[in-house]
Amino acid sequence: MPTITLNHITKIEGHAKLTLGIEENKVTVCQLGATEGARYFEGIVVGRRYNEANELTSRICGICSCAHVIAAITAIENAIGFTPSEQTIKLRELLTLAERIRSHATHLYFLALPDYLGYESAIAMAPKYKKELQRALNMMKVGNHMIKTLAARDLHPVSAAVGGWLKLPSQDDMDAMGKALDGIKKDAEDTCKLFFSLKYPDFQTEGLFFSLKSEKEYAMLSGNFCSGDRCHAPEQYMNHIAEFHQEYSNANYATEDGKRFFVGAIARLNNNSKFLSLNAQKMLKLSKIRLPSQNPFHNTHAQAVELVHSIDHALEICKTLKIKDEKIPQIPIKAGRGVGAIEVPRGTLWHEYVVDEHGVITKANIITPTAQNLYNAQEDIRCFIPGIVHKTKEQIILDVEKLIRSYDPCFSCSAHFLEVEWV
Amino acid sequence: MDRCSGMMKSKTIQMTKPKVGFYGITGCAGCLLSVIFNEDELLDLIELIDLKAFPFVKEVNPDDSFDFIFIEGLVADNDDLAVLKKLRANSKYLVALGACANTGCVPAYRNYSLKENYEHLLFKKQESIQDVKPTPVDEHVHVDHYIPGCPPDKKQILTFIKAIVAGRTPKKYDSPVCMECRQNGNACLLDAGKPCLGPITAGGCNSVCINGGFECWGCRGPTKDMNLELMIRILRQKGFDDKFIQDRMRTFIGLKLPMLERVMNAHNNP
Repeated sequence: MPTITLNHITKIEGHAKLTLGIEENKVTVCQLGATEGARYFEGIVVGRRYNEANELTSRICGICSCAHVIAAITAIENAIGFTPSEQTIKLRELLTLAERIRSHATHLYFLALPDYLGYESAIAMAPKYKKELQRALNMMKVGNHMIKTLAARDLHPVSAAVGGWLKLPSQDDMDAMGKALDGIKKDAEDTCKLFFSLKYPDFQTEGLFFSLKSEKEYAMLSGNFCSGDRCHAPEQYMNHIAEFHQEYSNANYATEDGKRFFVGAIARLNNNSKFLSLNAQKMLKLSKIRLPSQNPFHNTHAQAVELVHSIDHALEICKTLKIKDEKIPQIPIKAGRGVGAIEVPRGTLWHEYVVDEHGVITKANIITPTAQNLYNAQEDIRCFIPGIVHKTKEQIILDVEKLIRSYDPCFSCSAHFLEVEWV
Repeated sequence: MDRCSGMMKSKTIQMTKPKVGFYGITGCAGCLLSVIFNEDELLDLIELIDLKAFPFVKEVNPDDSFDFIFIEGLVADNDDLAVLKKLRANSKYLVALGACANTGCVPAYRNYSLKENYEHLLFKKQESIQDVKPTPVDEHVHVDHYIPGCPPDKKQILTFIKAIVAGRTPKKYDSPVCMECRQNGNACLLDAGKPCLGPITAGGCNSVCINGGFECWGCRGPTKDMNLELMIRILRQKGFDDKFIQDRMRTFIGLKLPMLERVMNAHNNP
């Protein structure tokens, strides 16, 4: 079989290229790289004020801009020694959940589903699967509406800031979001049933599944970075996550203590399933997968379960949070270094900043989920090929694309995180 | 007679469905998502156009001939430049979609940050992904239409597409953000001591950031008749130092303000 080169992998966020060489049923070359132009965000924020990092790094990614905003704010607050109020944290959770709902709905129906139903795109599915697409659009709309309500814009949100919120939602806003969430509960459950009914390739990754893990909740904005009982404190991440680069990729590759690893929805489910909402646990029982799962294709599955959980969790916040009129306080600036690690749609996101005594950022490091997954995805492809090598070239390409898309990669995000040497 | 004219009409509509493509070069996909996030209209919208290519959501993307091509992103590596030139050659009209394509946005701020800030991030790469100076698309190819904003308002994209389907030239909004901001009844953030760039920034965004309590950073680009000198004077009066003012103004639109340094210096030494 000749070399297979996929120059522009479609239905993913951003640009990536795969080069595969297969000779006599053996993989001789396997290179998965980000071809998105590098943007050097870690360099761009240096020299800027501590409260500008969130607005700047938000531009790393459209689909997870809320994630970058919250991670940047968290890291900066840790650096300057500020502790946010309970209300501030609850509203950040709500924003993160809203983004997870819209992101998962978009990925599941627009990027992943066409592969499984045999269509080139969701648009081509529209005549026959209008009901299913409408479901996705309903959930995307509620997620977007919540983000706009909380942070003024549905992409690159602005109201979340270092120290708190520039504008707070009213109690009526909270009620309206609650009602909207009620309206998509069934859409999420139907999404689970649909994705549970699809046939997933039987494949096990060698990479360990990592996510934040907490003793009290389905970890999202805090917790240790764990794979089962193997845990690292977020502040120690640089002692465990190492990066290297390749000439064919504008994104780095990451290892955890020298080994490849996986972050994302299925990793969270493996680590935290006992904290899923009751509805989500009920849905999980309907599925055939058993946790912990080592199958990256099950990430799609896990995203469907997380839709149900995220809606329930968000509803609980909308119903219980009584909005108090809190203003952002005057924050005394002190020099320091802070890490922000949060669970975003595609896995764990890391932001780290050093701020000097004038409030100026002097160093930054950002590691996105896709950057962490890229090495594992590449090596998974290498291991996956021998099992499908008897198929036609077209089928091999489709299966490999399915595998890549199951990771829900975001190459825009990945292609600016480059090696940072800490002195 | 009626039947005949009816048939004629439907045939005309069929023939004028524009062949459209949505492509991203280096960017964040936020502008492409803003197209899709027209949740209530999306399924009808794709009926109005002949959507030939949209690699973000489509597997099959013939790129040989377009009426309208929408480009998200800026030119940041050799690959971007090759894709952009090919698409320009194959389309009648090119639309710069969003801030990166229009002004270079935040990634082009690298042109102004110190090289030592990111030098350690550089490494040896294959030719196709080697860096070029981060620049908006009109530095490389002719642009027929601009849709500004980071990202543009999704309804604005919808209005634009409906206009081209109807064969109209979409209108450009050139009044400053302050116009809409006042209509929205917001308290002036400049008055409150915030470094708001609303007075020199083209609106059409419904002052969305200020509605959310956040000052304007200028993502939609300068108005045609902006008074840069006055803006700088006001910001200085509010106590902002020149480095801050320059950094802030260059964040989204640095390459569109080549006169910035001169104006600042002239004002320093009248």
